[in-house]
Amino acid sequence: MAQQDSIQETLERVRTLAERSGAAEAETYFEFITLAEARVREREVELIQQSAISGLGLRILRDRKMGFLYTTDLRRTVVDELVLRTIALAGEATPRDENKLSDQVFPPQGNLEIYDDAVAAMRPEQLIALARSLEENALARDQKIQTTLDTRAGYAVGEVHFSNTFIPYQVFKSTSCWLTCTAVASDGNQKREGSYADRKRIFQDLNTPERIGRKAAERALVRLGAKPVPSTKAPVIFEAEAAGAFLGGLFGAFHGLNVLDQRSFLAGRLGQQIASPLVTIVDDGIQRRGLGSRPFDGEGSQTRRTVVVEGGKLAHFLHTVSTARRAGVQPTGNAVRGYDSLPSVGATNFYIDGGSSKPDSMIQDVTRGLYVTGTAGFGFDIAAGEYSQQVEGSWIEGGKLTRPVEGVTVAGKLGDMLLGIDAVGRDLEFRTTFSAPTIRFKELTIGGV
Amino acid sequence: MSLESPISRRDFLRNGALLSTAILAGSSGAIPWISGPRAAEAALMGIGQELRDVLNLETVNRILSEALTRGGDFADLFAEQRFRTSIVLDDGKIDSVTYGYPRGAGVRVFRRRQTGYAFSDEIAYSSLLDAARVASSIVQNQSPVRPLDVTPRRIQPPFTLAAPAPLMGEPMKFELLRRMDAAARSVDPRIVSVRIDYVDEVRDILIGTSDGSYVIDRQYLVSVVCVPTAAQGSERRSGFASLGGRVDQDYFPRRDPEGVAREAARQAITLLTAGPAPAGAMPVVIGPGWGGVLIHESFGHASEGDGISRGTSFLTGRVGTKVASPVLRVIDDATWPNGRGSYAVDDEGTPGQRTVLIDGGVLQSYLLDRQSAGLLSMRSTGNGRRMTYRQWPIPRMTNTYIDRGVTDPTALLTGITKGFYAAEMAGGSVDTTSGNFNFAVRLGYLIENGQITKPVRGAILIGNSLETMTRIEGIGNDLVVEQTRGTCGKDGQMVPVGVGQPTVRFSSITVGGTAI
Repeated sequence: MAQQDSIQETLERVRTLAERSGAAEAETYFEFITLAEARVREREVELIQQSAISGLGLRILRDRKMGFLYTTDLRRTVVDELVLRTIALAGEATPRDENKLSDQVFPPQGNLEIYDDAVAAMRPEQLIALARSLEENALARDQKIQTTLDTRAGYAVGEVHFSNTFIPYQVFKSTSCWLTCTAVASDGNQKREGSYADRKRIFQDLNTPERIGRKAAERALVRLGAKPVPSTKAPVIFEAEAAGAFLGGLFGAFHGLNVLDQRSFLAGRLGQQIASPLVTIVDDGIQRRGLGSRPFDGEGSQTRRTVVVEGGKLAHFLHTVSTARRAGVQPTGNAVRGYDSLPSVGATNFYIDGGSSKPDSMIQDVTRGLYVTGTAGFGFDIAAGEYSQQVEGSWIEGGKLTRPVEGVTVAGKLGDMLLGIDAVGRDLEFRTTFSAPTIRFKELTIGGV
Repeated sequence: MSLESPISRRDFLRNGALLSTAILAGSSGAIPWISGPRAAEAALMGIGQELRDVLNLETVNRILSEALTRGGDFADLFAEQRFRTSIVLDDGKIDSVTYGYPRGAGVRVFRRRQTGYAFSDEIAYSSLLDAARVASSIVQNQSPVRPLDVTPRRIQPPFTLAAPAPLMGEPMKFELLRRMDAAARSVDPRIVSVRIDYVDEVRDILIGTSDGSYVIDRQYLVSVVCVPTAAQGSERRSGFASLGGRVDQDYFPRRDPEGVAREAARQAITLLTAGPAPAGAMPVVIGPGWGGVLIHESFGHASEGDGISRGTSFLTGRVGTKVASPVLRVIDDATWPNGRGSYAVDDEGTPGQRTVLIDGGVLQSYLLDRQSAGLLSMRSTGNGRRMTYRQWPIPRMTNTYIDRGVTDPTALLTGITKGFYAAEMAGGSVDTTSGNFNFAVRLGYLIENGQITKPVRGAILIGNSLETMTRIEGIGNDLVVEQTRGTCGKDGQMVPVGVGQPTVRFSSITVGGTAI
């Protein structure tokens, strides 16, 4: 733990200086993070990193004009000068009605279980042992796995200290730990990589190195011999992890600022059926042990669970204080930031809720189609509502996975794609902040040879 | 590994930039300036002055000695401070203004493939000694190595800036954004919103190495990104344009910012009526400039020394062999005038250089930092870069481009009965093990019977590097190196880069549209 008293004093002093020097409202956000990571490759420790990050962000409002500064240099003379310069600079901004800091005082959300003493007590030697085990398990899976890339174990312990003109000083601590493995399979002609990773708040929840190493190896092995298929239109299944990545790309459509500025294809569609009735999408800032859970958001608003799409109906967009004011709604606790960035709309724990289909039977129902296990590249045009991405996976013939596929694209109009989801799996699990079960699109365009 | 044009700038390149003395004039004295030390201004007076005050030759020697007490091949100390200014104009209004002042230093030790790294947000002798001890822990059971005493090295900048753009007064920056906003809106009433992101920075670095170098440099960078959105009925399309680089203040008036903003708005309008892109493999012609994303992804990343020394890149061991069409010549050039990826020295203190990667279709060189060069028994090519003092250097590209060819670009369309012309590109990514890469096209056109015809919406283009590069059929004489955008991400580290190419024709690339 950083020295809490002195941090609190520094924040109060900086905020008071800003308020005395012309800021009508001021907000301090201080982060302190210690992290360590070990990487192992070919049974040798490739990297050990140990660090402590700290920094201060100060947002000020003056006549409804906003200025922001951040610094890692907390020497008093430096900070004081930066404060005055930022207030001066803010004078050049345009006054905006929505420029208002959060003034609603809530008790912070409790019992989130986002801090684990076991993670905070971890040592670099443990990380090395975990990373070694991860790699051993990947290498042991098959003769064709002869090396790995990027096998690592790490942990972070963070603190956020917050206060503004209206909300008194508050602090929370959180932890996370992770295991990542990328294995390389080689059959003499071809090399293909496969990755698997897990990240959790609580060490006990973390997938074992055995499972992660094995999964990474299996993903690399299955890609050997992959080939493109001819261009066609066909049903496409996104396996859970690929569906989660798809959801991450789609997030911008629910982003309050994009909606207000007409940069989302969902702007103006609240209350309408925008997806299949099988689809429910949730942003849950208070999910127990959630990677995106926190007691209050980046500007001190209460975090909460927001159902964004319910049974296919668009129910809510996600907001910070300022986007909520512009939209005339309540903030949703989605202000995401670091000390070095202004709060902006971001996801907490964002997921497509689990459905009722067995992933196996979702494949069995397809006579001819594509099973997608990975996506790559920047394929989302959120303003236009269009999607086109490089994908890999397996070809489905007669309800069975027949051969590995790469070198193809899938594309569609996002609006049509969401309405055309005809099965949602029951295999939802949380390994990142964007999660989804296996989903099936009735028809997408596959671009191949 | 991926390259993005800075459209999602807020998430990508952290906002921020510089405290210029000119702000005093801009803020019209509304705030009474405090007397006493003005650290930020002091730092701007002498390059690296504030860093040098703490990290002089003697303290750097001591820190490097500490770093090698357990042995090791090499140690370095890297200190950095940045002044960043960022301004967002949205919805016709100056939305926010930000100053950022991140500073700190890190110590690295490596022995063969093993790296130890630790940093401090505080530039103080005692905390850097601690960092040196932590970094040294990577080395086991070796005897101490005594570093060479550091001596200052003179650096040769590839170009100099008389009046760097980041030092413009704030009022000039605001004025620039307002003029661009008005110009974009004036194009068509269907332009419903315009967002402009301005970021500049002055970066001072100080590097001390265990082989005796002590290097100080200052790097200036500015970027302006303009995204107008057009709406018609339920259709919404965004255009994109950018300005900037490592440029002087007179760059902006010369470059006609209003014209650039209008061009971005016209793109958005064109996209409103564009048809769906085709799907499948077909002849593709890629326009000049930012189209160089293709070479960045398809070959650039695979030539970086980390993947080569690990033996995982598909280009491992291929120097001197044919890897592409004989017409292809590819260069990585840290000395390109005003380039976003240009520098006098890399983040390990090695001078930036021009490296021919491919000539006549034959692979000539890799891009190396010190560690990968050591493992390959080669010399660093000056490509060791890091995002900030919080990261260790890894091999990265600078400004990477396909060199000028001999063909008139319009002649490259001849003979294509049905194909795709990629006019405006977005970002891309690559898997360097397989060589499978992709990049996104924002605006394309159909090629029908040797002519560019209807505009079509964006789509992803994909391919395998070695296959695609043998399919180059012609290279235009219209080389453009894009210096205004380009942020490359690898291992979580974002660095500014340039890319470029003339118009290039491929016999076949897979286009990921929706029309079959």
